[in-house]
Amino acid sequence: MGFLAPLMLVGVAALGVPIAIHLIGRRHAKLVKFAALDFLLATKRRTARRFQLRERVLLAVRAIACAAVAIALAKPYTSCARKGPEVTRGPQAAVLVIDDSFAAGYQIDGVPWMKRATDEARRILTQLGPEAEVAIVRSAEGSDHPTELTRDHLRLRDHLLALEPSARPADTTRALARAAQLLAASSHLRKTVYLVSLAAKTGLRAEDPPWGKDGPSLVIVDTRPPAMPNLAITSLRVDAEPGTGSRGVAFEAEIANFGDAKTSVEVSLTIADRVVARGMVDLPAHEHRTKRFLAALPAGSRASDAWVSLTPDALPVDDRRWIRASLRDQVRVLLVDGDPRTVRHDDELFYLEAALRPGDREDSGTQVRSITAEELAGIEPRARGKAGALDLEEFDVVVLANVAALPVERVNVLATWVRAGGGILVAPGDRVDSADYDRTMLPLLPQSLRDPIDTTWGATADDRDSRALRLVKWESDHPIFAPFSKTAPELADAKFYKISLLGPTTDTADRKVLARFTNGAAALVEASIGTGRSLLFTSTIDRDWNDLPIHPGFLPLVQQAVRHLARKHASFGVADHVVGSSVSLPTSDLKKLEVRGPDNTSATFEGDRIEGRANVRFTRTDHAGIFRVAGTDQAGTTRDREELTFVVNLDPRGSDLTPAPPSALPASGTGGGSSPVDNASRRVELWHSLAAALLLLLLAEGILVQR
Amino acid sequence: MTSLPQRIDPAQLARLGSLPIKARVIVEGALSGLHRASVHGASVEFAEHKEYSPGDELRHVDWKAYAKLDRYYVKQFEQESQLTVYLVLDASASMAFAGGGLSKIEYGGLCLAALAYLVTQQQDKVGLVTCGDKRIETVVPPRARTSHLHDLLSVLDGVIAKGGTGDESPAAALGRIAELSRRRRSLIVLASDLFDDDDATLKAITQLRAQRHDISVLHVLDPHERSFPYDGLTRFESLENDHKMLVNPAAVRREYLERMEKFLTRCRTTLATAGVDYHLVSTDRGLELTLLDLLVARSRLSPKYARARRTG
Repeated sequence: MGFLAPLMLVGVAALGVPIAIHLIGRRHAKLVKFAALDFLLATKRRTARRFQLRERVLLAVRAIACAAVAIALAKPYTSCARKGPEVTRGPQAAVLVIDDSFAAGYQIDGVPWMKRATDEARRILTQLGPEAEVAIVRSAEGSDHPTELTRDHLRLRDHLLALEPSARPADTTRALARAAQLLAASSHLRKTVYLVSLAAKTGLRAEDPPWGKDGPSLVIVDTRPPAMPNLAITSLRVDAEPGTGSRGVAFEAEIANFGDAKTSVEVSLTIADRVVARGMVDLPAHEHRTKRFLAALPAGSRASDAWVSLTPDALPVDDRRWIRASLRDQVRVLLVDGDPRTVRHDDELFYLEAALRPGDREDSGTQVRSITAEELAGIEPRARGKAGALDLEEFDVVVLANVAALPVERVNVLATWVRAGGGILVAPGDRVDSADYDRTMLPLLPQSLRDPIDTTWGATADDRDSRALRLVKWESDHPIFAPFSKTAPELADAKFYKISLLGPTTDTADRKVLARFTNGAAALVEASIGTGRSLLFTSTIDRDWNDLPIHPGFLPLVQQAVRHLARKHASFGVADHVVGSSVSLPTSDLKKLEVRGPDNTSATFEGDRIEGRANVRFTRTDHAGIFRVAGTDQAGTTRDREELTFVVNLDPRGSDLTPAPPSALPASGTGGGSSPVDNASRRVELWHSLAAALLLLLLAEGILVQR
Repeated sequence: MTSLPQRIDPAQLARLGSLPIKARVIVEGALSGLHRASVHGASVEFAEHKEYSPGDELRHVDWKAYAKLDRYYVKQFEQESQLTVYLVLDASASMAFAGGGLSKIEYGGLCLAALAYLVTQQQDKVGLVTCGDKRIETVVPPRARTSHLHDLLSVLDGVIAKGGTGDESPAAALGRIAELSRRRRSLIVLASDLFDDDDATLKAITQLRAQRHDISVLHVLDPHERSFPYDGLTRFESLENDHKMLVNPAAVRREYLERMEKFLTRCRTTLATAGVDYHLVSTDRGLELTLLDLLVARSRLSPKYARARRTG
């Protein structure tokens, strides 16, 4: 400790003044010979100690106060290691760039980092002094306009106190550019930008520097803790999972570990405010993993709000991600009957139709339409509204059951549809000629057909069953065979008397034999064609070549096959809106639309904002969560529009708190400011504190005197 | 009660001449008020005739006897020679305290002197016992003669002039009276501040009362002792011992006054329970008023007084 004016320390001798006064005062105390001294003595027994203590404390306070005056006038100072940036006091222009991204809510010892940041910013504001023109720029993406450069530090303090973490990621580079723009307009020679930020690498773009060489000087206020581990759900998608029933859905959450240590975390799935599944995920450092949940949406609704959440960590805001899971329309199947019969049970599609719509129930999840092969001639890829034409877009799956080879143009139409995502199941029969199929149908098949073989040819009636083929190997992990065990009798007991053999492997992608007969011949072959799928069953779909349709395994097999083929259409509910993005909402001839956000704010579109528009654009997606839409039709009836409900999630970029490398930070310009933070010692003047202590002492002395 | 006589300032009274004069001034002041009081006209019982001699009051001459016998006879009343009054003055050091006017011993002494004067005028016997200094025993036996009054007042004047010494409790003096009275009921008037250890005086009074003595207590306190008006750092020293105390009076005032009030309440309650005539007097109060209060209180107790006189 040192003194700027050590001569003033002579005044410490004033310490003796109150002591002298005290002693003289004791000697000159009034003397009273008192008769009722016993009463006083009894009183004193209680108060004597307190009185003595008070006298001594009073003496000490007065002595210290006298000494403090002298010491304060001597202007003491001390040196300490610098923790924060060196802030030069005086006339200058300065901009405080403060990170208010959602990462600013990172909890450090139970306190958000934002509090630490604003405290530091206020400290800098104090140190800059009243002559400094200061502005505040928030660095969250899409933040409002910054404050102007002003000397009204009181207002700036209020602004700092009101700062809260937003729901957006940081865009530090843009904020620094804004700060440079503000400072460019200032006439001060000294221009400094104080960056109070987590300085995550995702918010800084080294390739887009905010200023050049003549830019302001940059002071980085390091308020980051040494480590900021963070887990986050970075994406969430939901797909239909017909394998788990007509309301089955599969959620896939991508969980990222942005920390330096391996960890495991509990993940839970909530649908309609009820936790339906939980699981643990092991996450290596700086890796991400996908957690898949299978669930069924609640009965009675076609859509549900759902979210996946993690056990909250230091940054809980990104530990939850919302999605809107909706049941898509039923699997629409077009059955093409290649061998129609007037006798119902002889018809090629008799068993298949019964299996796809058991009991003809609405909730079977399948919408079936049957046509003959001749009617297939009228099919077109997009024939909506065209009389007599079949629109392929209205179907998810086409089943060709014992259909003779189609003309090339029909095959091309179907192939185009399959490549675009359709699913086709081909089952041969007596009407199928392998040679014809080779000529025209190959674009639809996973593999070319050869002539069928009749395993019971020449057998007696007794031998017929023993010579029949059976299914022995199937891919039990495949979705089609998911309901079956590896030796499921409901499949294994079925007898196949005649099957089509397959030709050499074609060049179709992902060709895979899913099931084989006892003789090793393929029973079910799958291949991807474009984004669609093709399945080839090498026996008939009715009882002409086998007795599978009368076995219990037939129904689940064909249902699974149809759902599997339709899977391509089942991707839905992807949360693709992030905070800050705009959402286009169809007006659907509504008179008024009201969007209610998760923070209970609402925005209304009516009058000129909605009339004559096909869509309105909602931009106030400032919070993550589920936004609900209520619509008022022309008749004045208002109801919730479930179909317009949408979900907004955090931008996962903001969850990565990995610090930016020094090279990503802009170089300090020639703004005349100080260099970035260093750890050199600095002088701390103590006389302010002493003056404050003196005031307190005088206050204490006054109170003691009054007592 | 009718209007009180014009007040006689105790301080001015103190500057008067000898104690007999002061006593007479007080008595006359008190009696001038008494004449207008409702207690006027209290009678005494006739005892016997005696032949007139110079000095006897003419108002007691029995003119009917003169008419029959042609000789002057004077009526004598029984109580004039039967009532014995013991005056007890606490002359301990604490009574020397004077906050600004008379000291407590002066005030109490003047009251007792006036009372002695009055008693003697009524030709009752009056004695004096003082306490305070254990080494000096001041006892004036009760007598009814006029010359005895002079002697008693001389002794009393000496005690007052000495100003109070020692720390002997009035309890000792009261014990001596119990011995002196030899179970004859007497009227005992005690002037004291009652400051002693363990309430010894109160206990002694209660015991005397139990022996059927009539007791009046003049509890003499200085106004400063009741209001504790001191301020600033003050060193208090005891009048009776070596105790000293440096204190800020403001810090202890409230508790001191509470303790004083408790003490006074205890005195009042104890003595009232015992049937003692208790008067709390302040040394700035007119002496004649104090004497008047005492007389009025005694007159209210007159039936007892008469009975006491009959039973001798």
